[in-house]
Amino acid sequence: MSYLLPLMLKEEFRLHSSYSSRRMFLAFPVIVALFSFAIAMTSQRLLEATPLPDAILFLHLSAFLYGLGVGAFGFLGAQYLERRHGHRNYLVAMPSLLPMSFRRTFLGMYVRDAVFYMALVLAPMVAGLAASVPFTGFRFTSIGFLFLAALISFLVGMSLSFFVSTVYMRSRVAFAGLVAGISVAFAAAGVFRVLPVEAILPGLSMHYGLPPFATPGAAALAGGMAGAGLIALCVAGALLLVPEQYEPRSVPVAEDELPGVDARLGIVRGYRVLLAKELVDLRRSGTIPKMFFSFVTPLLFLSFTAWFVRNGLRAPVGFNSVFYGAMVGFFGVLLYNWLNNVDAMDYYATLPVDVPRVIRTKLLAFLALTTGISTAFVVGVSALNGDLRLLWLALPVMFVTSVYMVVMTAYLTGLRTNSFLFDPGVLARFSVLAILPDLGLTILSFTVDRTPVFTISGIALVLTAMAAATALLYRGIDAKWARHDFAE
Amino acid sequence: MRTSASREHDGPAGPPRSGSSASITSPIPSNNGAEIVRRVKAVEAHGLVKQYGSVTALAGVDLDVEAGDFFGLFGPNGAGKTTLLRILTGQLAPTAGRSSVLGIDPAREPLKVKAAIGIVPEVESPPSYLTASEYLYFVGRVRDVPRLQEAIDRWIAFFDLDEARGTICRDLSKGTRQKLMLAAAFLHGPSLLFLDEPFINLDPIYQRKLKDYLQQYRDAGGTVFMCSHLLEIAEKLCDRVAVIDGGRVIAKGSVAEVKRDERDLEAAFLRLVGERR
Repeated sequence: MSYLLPLMLKEEFRLHSSYSSRRMFLAFPVIVALFSFAIAMTSQRLLEATPLPDAILFLHLSAFLYGLGVGAFGFLGAQYLERRHGHRNYLVAMPSLLPMSFRRTFLGMYVRDAVFYMALVLAPMVAGLAASVPFTGFRFTSIGFLFLAALISFLVGMSLSFFVSTVYMRSRVAFAGLVAGISVAFAAAGVFRVLPVEAILPGLSMHYGLPPFATPGAAALAGGMAGAGLIALCVAGALLLVPEQYEPRSVPVAEDELPGVDARLGIVRGYRVLLAKELVDLRRSGTIPKMFFSFVTPLLFLSFTAWFVRNGLRAPVGFNSVFYGAMVGFFGVLLYNWLNNVDAMDYYATLPVDVPRVIRTKLLAFLALTTGISTAFVVGVSALNGDLRLLWLALPVMFVTSVYMVVMTAYLTGLRTNSFLFDPGVLARFSVLAILPDLGLTILSFTVDRTPVFTISGIALVLTAMAAATALLYRGIDAKWARHDFAE
Repeated sequence: MRTSASREHDGPAGPPRSGSSASITSPIPSNNGAEIVRRVKAVEAHGLVKQYGSVTALAGVDLDVEAGDFFGLFGPNGAGKTTLLRILTGQLAPTAGRSSVLGIDPAREPLKVKAAIGIVPEVESPPSYLTASEYLYFVGRVRDVPRLQEAIDRWIAFFDLDEARGTICRDLSKGTRQKLMLAAAFLHGPSLLFLDEPFINLDPIYQRKLKDYLQQYRDAGGTVFMCSHLLEIAEKLCDRVAVIDGGRVIAKGSVAEVKRDERDLEAAFLRLVGERR
């Protein structure tokens, strides 16, 4: 491990630097620190609206979710291993050639990402808070405790994700059972209030036992120990489950399925066979369930947050169908990212097909896959909230936002969404283009009952602007990506 | 002069007519247009430079390949062979210089070039989740190949890919994937083939079969541009060759001209590259 970890860290750094440049990549933590500094400077006003314990709860939930996203090595490792014949090879694939243990390599990946993402996000965030001390009067000890507690929540998320993804490598049924169990635990805490949230987030429990909430004592220690124990347990479990020899799961296929799918897609003319291939790929690679979960999970989290704000905090915020419509559109970005991660695309380089055409095919696949789910979610949430009266407005908001978000993401990141969003320049443009219209729609959605004419006119204006921007960005895809190649 | 992919399967690059036997009885019909094709340059490069940051992969490459030639490009590892091939096939833009492939500028019209030629890349990488026959169907549909099923069946038979028909490419052996990439490059009957290490991963039976096919393809008027480290095979196949080292062409001409007094191409290669070390 002593030789492997530094090499893996170098590999990760070089990989991320290659997406933009070394300087741009190193700017990422600086931006995080500046952002955190800005939040700290406005914290007095923020804390008037959201009490500190609730703000801390959101911090830990975010750290936990971030860890969940980072730690799925059972999925990611397999993806790296199966791409070993492409242009890029990774150290994680080396045990197939060298006398190295897969378990040790996976542990290396875990430690690498723990260190890497701590340095990339958590440490700069804390540095930003620390820099605000002369202006805000925060105590360094409180900031230090915040770092430790948030780190535990992040590592719990990462370890849990690591464990669950290695269970998936062994058994899909056990995986489904485990996911269901975790969901029940969170529902018990968040929805039914049978459990306190800190019972399943030991980092939060530890934080509530530390300044400024309490004097450090047994409660904080118990939280910290529980967190460390849970992390160790999940990592040990995951390492036990990592197979010593990696063998890709064979995919049973219906022979010559592609021509049939191609024949049924006459409506998309010039994109027929490309879209047909995309849909066959998605199904056979098992990406559709992953996409479904990665889309539905944040939507459920959002619903829970809205429910919590309304019923738990009793804050008079009107989360209506229009708000959900805007949010569903926003999360569409996650699905576009999945579409670019199914397989390496080198073979396109030998064919008379360019990058813009493949990007457009992905956009068509996105529409084919998400329109139904998004509509069902907005209709379902509206029905559950007894808010069907605004559905006529929520559905166009959802549709225009979805298309705008995905076209904007495609324009900015092409076929490498995951990579380019680590480029601070791209990320900054993405943030401005995503947050401004979404913020506008969210704020307008809150006033729909008080000033309906003003609100509906405002929403119509925002939607028109987004539709116009979508058309411009869609046309711009050609100029921006025509000269790019397919190699990863 | 033909500047686009041949739509007819009986052109100079047409697929074999016969079945899957190891010996090809008459894979390529005679071509009356061969004389016309031979008059033009299939490939031209003038002062091609490719810079990757501070690394110079190509430092001003000049070469030309006549239509109907079997041209071999050789060089040590990292000499710039694959970079040159990728530029000529429209996969990569040069930093400076110009080139022409079948009269088309690949930097300006990469899709037109790719439509006109067949490419076998260095790494065999068909899409993971399509079966072998689905991949050929996909390539044929993208290239708008007429009588596609017939063409797929012929190439599947030629490379004995019948057992791989229903297996997704991810689960195929390297050799089978290489055969599939070759079949995909030949499927539309191009008049010019760019082959980067085409013999790699093939067993001796298929190396022989491919050699025979390429010779008959050339005899029928097709042009081949091949990068390879297998000098023995190349010496038997190539009419003209070039040796590239450090991003520059250090020798070019007929096989005899490049060999000079050496007993074979390998000895000539070692001398040429060795002199520069």
